[in-house]
Amino acid sequence: MASTVTRRLLRELQDIQREPSEELVSLAPTSDDDILRWRAVLRGPQDTPYSGVCFEIHIEIPEQYPIKPPTLTFVTPVCHPNVHFETGEICLDILKTQWSPAWTLTSTCLAIHVLLANPEPSSPLNCDAANLLRCGDTLGYNSLVSLYAGIYGRRLPDP
Amino acid sequence: MADMEVDGSPKTTQAELATKEPTAVASNKSDSKIVRPRIEIKKWNAVAMWAWDMETDICAICRNNNMDLCIECQADQDSTKAEECNLAWGICNHAYHFHCIARWLKNRHTCPLDNREWDYQKFGR
Repeated sequence: MASTVTRRLLRELQDIQREPSEELVSLAPTSDDDILRWRAVLRGPQDTPYSGVCFEIHIEIPEQYPIKPPTLTFVTPVCHPNVHFETGEICLDILKTQWSPAWTLTSTCLAIHVLLANPEPSSPLNCDAANLLRCGDTLGYNSLVSLYAGIYGRRLPDP
Repeated sequence: MADMEVDGSPKTTQAELATKEPTAVASNKSDSKIVRPRIEIKKWNAVAMWAWDMETDICAICRNNNMDLCIECQADQDSTKAEECNLAWGICNHAYHFHCIARWLKNRHTCPLDNREWDYQKFGR
């Protein structure tokens, strides 16, 4: 089983090197001797209060991957209704009940990228951010998010 | 092709016929000089291609090509399991290696690509 996950991950790594995604600054294993831990650096989506900075995500891959989903957590603190501000836990159905082995680490990270731009305030891990959205205070939400993005967001690499 | 020739030279026509219809040349032989066909077919090989009729050619579970063995059998090609590394189609016409889809179905009984309830349609290799 362990070797199946390794082979699948090596294949994904090859695909990433062949076709890198614009939304991802980087996506690779954290070290050469452990392929079950990856690090992703996500570009804040354009036209959102997250744009202009990037966010680091830690990825833990179970031995049963891709039958079981990987665990993604934000290392960079993010203010978002579906992200726990302190633990970095992400609430997204495809990471839990709706996982399918057809997802890859790349497509999963892209789903997080889409989640940043499309918060789902009905299932919040950050009630303060969700409440602002739920009462329609977009201005307040946007300024709160960009305040935190400015404090914690990583600088984008020079082009 | 033959009727597209504009100069209508019998030489050309005959040479062309020789490659296409040997009998026609034989009947014309008497009223013209013996013309060696410019091209003579000595041997020909027919090549046919085939592919499975399916929407995807990569198994979405192991990411190997469906025409190849699944990622597990590929590493152990001599095993008896590898000999039986078949493909399986769902009623949605999505295909996976049987080994891969069987492993996934123990988890959730849906097609990994469209999330609909899975039912086998056929098997093959």
